[in-house]
Amino acid sequence: MMLQQLPALIAAGLTVGSGYALVALGIHIILRATRVVNFAQGEFVILGGLLAYTGVTTLHLSIWLALAAATAAGFALGLIYERLVLRPAARAGELAVTIASIGTVYVLLYGHALIWGSLPEPLPFFSGGARDATWRVAGLEIAAQQFWVVGLLAAALAVLYLFFERTTFGKAIRAAAANPLGARLVGIDVERSRALSVGIAIALAAFGGTIIGPITLAGGAGGIAIAIKGFVGAVVGGLDSPVGCVAGGLLVGVIEKLLEGQFSYGIADPAVYSLLLAMLLIRPQGLFGSRAAVRD
Amino acid sequence: MTRRLRTDARLLPLLAAAVVLFGVLAHADATLLQAGTYAAIYAVAAIGLSILLGNVAQISIGQAGFFGIGAYAVGYLTTAVTWPPGVPLWLQFVLATALGTALAGLFGLVLGFIALRFRGHYLAMATLAFGLIVVGVVRASGALGGASGIQNIPFAQFGPLPISGAAAFWYGWAMVALAALLSTNLLNGRTGRAFEAIRNDELAAEVLGVPTRRTKILAFAYAGTLAGFAGTFFASYLGLVDPGTVGISLSIDLLLMVVLGGAGGVSGAIAGATLIGIANIYGHNLENWRPVIYGVLVIVIVIFFPRGLVGLVRFPLPRAGAGPEEATTESTRTPDAIAPSARDTDARVLDANGSGASLDAGMTQPWLVVEGATKRFGGLVAVDEVSFALENGRLTALIGPNGAGKTTLFNAICGVGRLDAGRVLVAGSEVTAWQPHRIAALGVGRSFQNARLFAEMTVLENVVVGAFVTERATFVDDLLRRAASRHSGRDAAERARAVLADLRLEHLSAVLARDLAFGDRRRVELARALAARPGLLLVDEPAAGLNARERARLREDLHALRERGLTLLLIEHDMRLVMEVSDRVMVLRLGRKIADGPPALVRNDAEVISAYLGTSA
Repeated sequence: MMLQQLPALIAAGLTVGSGYALVALGIHIILRATRVVNFAQGEFVILGGLLAYTGVTTLHLSIWLALAAATAAGFALGLIYERLVLRPAARAGELAVTIASIGTVYVLLYGHALIWGSLPEPLPFFSGGARDATWRVAGLEIAAQQFWVVGLLAAALAVLYLFFERTTFGKAIRAAAANPLGARLVGIDVERSRALSVGIAIALAAFGGTIIGPITLAGGAGGIAIAIKGFVGAVVGGLDSPVGCVAGGLLVGVIEKLLEGQFSYGIADPAVYSLLLAMLLIRPQGLFGSRAAVRD
Repeated sequence: MTRRLRTDARLLPLLAAAVVLFGVLAHADATLLQAGTYAAIYAVAAIGLSILLGNVAQISIGQAGFFGIGAYAVGYLTTAVTWPPGVPLWLQFVLATALGTALAGLFGLVLGFIALRFRGHYLAMATLAFGLIVVGVVRASGALGGASGIQNIPFAQFGPLPISGAAAFWYGWAMVALAALLSTNLLNGRTGRAFEAIRNDELAAEVLGVPTRRTKILAFAYAGTLAGFAGTFFASYLGLVDPGTVGISLSIDLLLMVVLGGAGGVSGAIAGATLIGIANIYGHNLENWRPVIYGVLVIVIVIFFPRGLVGLVRFPLPRAGAGPEEATTESTRTPDAIAPSARDTDARVLDANGSGASLDAGMTQPWLVVEGATKRFGGLVAVDEVSFALENGRLTALIGPNGAGKTTLFNAICGVGRLDAGRVLVAGSEVTAWQPHRIAALGVGRSFQNARLFAEMTVLENVVVGAFVTERATFVDDLLRRAASRHSGRDAAERARAVLADLRLEHLSAVLARDLAFGDRRRVELARALAARPGLLLVDEPAAGLNARERARLREDLHALRERGLTLLLIEHDMRLVMEVSDRVMVLRLGRKIADGPPALVRNDAEVISAYLGTSA
């Protein structure tokens, strides 16, 4: 690897990693609330990007408005998903929810191909200007969109942090996830908290799909790969740790881009998946997680 | 025989007849034959997944990986490898099939080993990763053709005949028949009973002597072998194999087939694979609608029809008492396999010295010695340097306030959770850090505070699992349904019936454990523990929640067990019962043993009274 390539590869890695971080965080939130891993998380990322694409092209929204609209739509879809799929399946057991979320992958993956076609579409860049707009930072050329992605990720994390840590509402949702029975006893509506958690997680997915859309394009069949790389990030960082999920997602993005830069495009994916197995075997609680969570 | 095995036994002949009829009627229609052949290929792989998912409750979203290993093995070995002259094509195909299937089985062993570490969603993700790694590796491998895969794979041959068209249809369904036969054998044998036990309650199974880890690894290896076997024929039938055909969508399709048909056993997998195989061919012009419909189907089925299509077929239950062997085997059993009289059978069942362990009748080693046992949970010392030896053939009670460490000590004796310090010796063997099933095999039985029965199994099936450690049939015995497998199941059922008769529980034999009344649950659990013919029995709060009549019966049971020579260790809060039945009482408080001696002495010990008994005792 050429040393001067390194900063560019890391920047590219952090950009795709931001998407994985949002997926990892979404998986974490849904896991906390419902005790299941949502395999369809990556498909909701794709769907979010496509909704923003429709907002921009058909409704002639600015990319910023489209981002807001896609995020709001993601929230609504999350509520529907929880009500129609996750909640009824939960009555049939944990295995049933896992299988139902895999069924949802098919519905979304081929469903959006029916609506938008199977070829990915470009989203406009957030800086508005030329596609290849770059900013010079410390002597390095960094694409403007990469700043936007990382900056918007940071903004979303700040909002989430304030919501979950500082508002009574957010605290109630966390309480309901941590101890449903206890939460119910103090008058928290646990079912509604669960639904809201799923809504927030899917809103994050749609948000992520829109901010990385200008770089990765919106649509296509990459949702499963995004979901599993997000999961790898969550496992690397620690499934039960929100900080770990974000850090792990970013790390997976950087590892992926470094491997692609050093070796070939085809080697990065199996290497990242192998990282999942290795991590599960060596340190299943992840870098930031606690051991108790592993056997859940 | 569980409900799904009964369903299989009824449905399989019907399915076989339908296949033959289909093959005969469709022999001139190339498209129908093709659909039927793909259905057969998928069915072989789906049977493995059905057993994994439905019988062992282990999910895998990586079955396409094994399928791919089998397919690529045949593709590579019949195209890229130069065989010595004189090896005919049919032999190449046979060797490649054997090698590819074995290789897939080997990877199944490895994945099974990895899978031991995980449950639920971790397992799902780990298996998904396995499937993706296989696809990634073949895509990146130049020798395996990279993204375009291996082309121009010759048709397999049966002698000089190419296996294509109608021949492929029959070959494919012969594979299904073989897989169904072996799987049915397996599920009806000792291995199948281990599967069911693990699916219902892994911890209880392990403590009863089921080697849960090894059994789960075997289940993964078996499912992988079948998927690989399916892949071997797929490659030669299609004539090519590429990363896309063995990718994640095949894994999901297989999962769909199993869920659609009904997970567990073989008939559901065959039905599901047939429907999807046919839908794939005839639904081709639906393009993206087809997978969307599949996805909706999966969701609807897991929510509304968790037993799948075959679960909708209802057969009348057989008469009460049908065990792992059908009731008819009673008339065919060999005379020496049963005891001469019922009385003797009872004595044999409850005879400590006849336990499953290879121990001398006049054993002088104490059944249980605990030395300096210490167990910490974080900063809390749950068990603190506890030492004792049990006198054989006596009933020792372990009492103490809640949180004194009694159950933790039980767990440590059984191998559930490791001691931080100290050792446990069972019949002279140091068993510290052993897995629970090995300790059970030495003759240690136990009951749980909350009676962990196998909820979805009948009382008789529960007790038959109890006899697991006395069985000797191996995985291969079961697979081939050798005499050892048949006798093993019959003897276990025989022993289970005898124990149930002895405890006067026969009338409950056919009742599902989850439908039992609370008091019966405890006695069935006792029966299950006794079916292993233990020499040492650990009983955890047997009187909790029982009414006065049930307590009286429990007292009789405990007396009877003691008289028959069992060494008993009893955790109990009912002081009257403890004082009546015990030869010796040990008192734990905050993890420490504070008193130990005959009941009368312990009852009057000042420290015990202040710690636990209070003034009323």
